[in-house]
Amino acid sequence: MASVDTGGDSGGGKKGKKRAKKSSTHIDMTPMVDLAFLLLTFFILTTTMSKPTTMQLTFPVDPDDTSKVTKVNNAVTLILTKDDEILYYLDELKAETVFQKADYKSIRKVIQERNMPAIQKINELTKQFNKQVGGDKEKFKQLEPQYKQMVDSIKGLKESVFCIIKPDEHAKYRNMIDIVDEMDICGVGKYAVSDKFAEAELEYLKNYLGGK
Amino acid sequence: MPKSSPALDMTPMVDLAFLLVTFFMLTAQFKPEEVPVDTPSSQSTMEVPKDDILFITIDTAGRVTWDFKQGKTKQLGVRDAVLASMSTKYNVTFTEEQKEKFTKLSGIAVPIENLAGFLDQQGGDQRKAYAEKYKGVPYDSLNNQLKEWLVATRVEYYAVANAQPTVVLKADGNVDYSVVNDVIKIFQTDEVGINRFKMVTDLEKSGL
Repeated sequence: MASVDTGGDSGGGKKGKKRAKKSSTHIDMTPMVDLAFLLLTFFILTTTMSKPTTMQLTFPVDPDDTSKVTKVNNAVTLILTKDDEILYYLDELKAETVFQKADYKSIRKVIQERNMPAIQKINELTKQFNKQVGGDKEKFKQLEPQYKQMVDSIKGLKESVFCIIKPDEHAKYRNMIDIVDEMDICGVGKYAVSDKFAEAELEYLKNYLGGK
Repeated sequence: MPKSSPALDMTPMVDLAFLLVTFFMLTAQFKPEEVPVDTPSSQSTMEVPKDDILFITIDTAGRVTWDFKQGKTKQLGVRDAVLASMSTKYNVTFTEEQKEKFTKLSGIAVPIENLAGFLDQQGGDQRKAYAEKYKGVPYDSLNNQLKEWLVATRVEYYAVANAQPTVVLKADGNVDYSVVNDVIKIFQTDEVGINRFKMVTDLEKSGL
C-alpha cells in the first residue's frame, strides 16, 4: 500500500500488451496514516462517559405534619399504588370526597391545573430573566441566585399547590422518584412524602385493589 | 519532486497497528459493578459526586450494600477507622490481609459476622455469589447493622474532615417503596441524623 501501481491506467490505452507500462508515480500514504492516528488519539482523549445523574431530595424532618393540610387552601393528595397507578383527591378528605384515577402521564395535567397561578408567575419571571440576561454569561451568573430565590418564593405562596404523596405498600421506588420528578417539572415547591393513611383512604384502597 | 521508493515497506506495521487497535476496542469491557442496579430515570442533570461519599445501594432483591468512596480523604483512612470501630462493636476480628482488602474494596453487602469470609473471596463473581447467600447488610430492628455502619462512617469522617459526608442512595426502580422507606427512616433516626441525601437516577430523555 505504500506504493500504488498506477501502471494500469497508463497502459490501458494499449491493447494486446500483457504487461502494462509501469509508471513511476506512486502515492506516499504516510500523511494518511498520520492523520488516522491523530484522529484516533484525539477521540480517545476527548470522549467522556455519560455519568449517572442524581436528584437532590430533602425529606422534611417530621413527615407526620399532615395536620398542616387543614390550614392550606390548595392541596392535592396523591396515593401511589400498584401497577404504576395514582389515586388522587383534592383538598381535605371529607365524606363526599371523590377519588380519581390517574397515571404518571396524566397526573402532570392535574397538578399543572391546580398550580396554574404559580406556573404562570414562574413563566413570566423566566421570560423577564432571559430578557435581562440576553445570553450574557456573566449576567447569568450574577442574576441566577436571585432568580432561584424568587422562584422558590413563588412556590411557597399560599395559592401554590401543596402535594401530599402517600406511597402504599404496593408502590415501587421508581413510582416515588417519578412523582418527585413531576413536582419539579410542575413547579411544586411544597410537597411531603408520608406513610400515614386515613381510615377512609385505606377503605377505598382496599375496595379499589380488591376489585382488580 | 520525485519521491524515491521507500527502502522499508511500512504496510504490514500499519496493518498490524490498526488490527490491534480494533481488537482492543472491541474486547475491552468495563469493570462490572459489584451490585447491578437498574436505577429509575429523572429529569435531573446534577452529577453524582465522586469523592468522599457515603454510598448506600439497594438492589432488586432489597439487599442493602454499604460503601464509602474515599476521594480526598484516602490518606486519612476513613474506611480503616470504620472497620476498626465496627469490629470492636461487634467483637469480630480481622487479619491484616482482610483489613487491606477492605480498604481497597467498594461495597460491603454482608452481615458483619460473614464479613471475613466475604473479604477472603477471590473475585467479583465469588463475592457476588457470597453476598447473595447472606442477603446484604441487615437493617431490621433487632439487628440493625446498617445503622451502626452509618453512625460509624459519620463519626469517623467527621473526625478527619470536620464535616458531614455526602450521602447518596442508589436503589433499583423495581424495589418496593417500603424497603426504601425503611432505609430512609433509619437515615432519619436521631443517632444517624441524615436528612439530606441524593438519589441516583438515569437521565431521562427530554420531551416525553
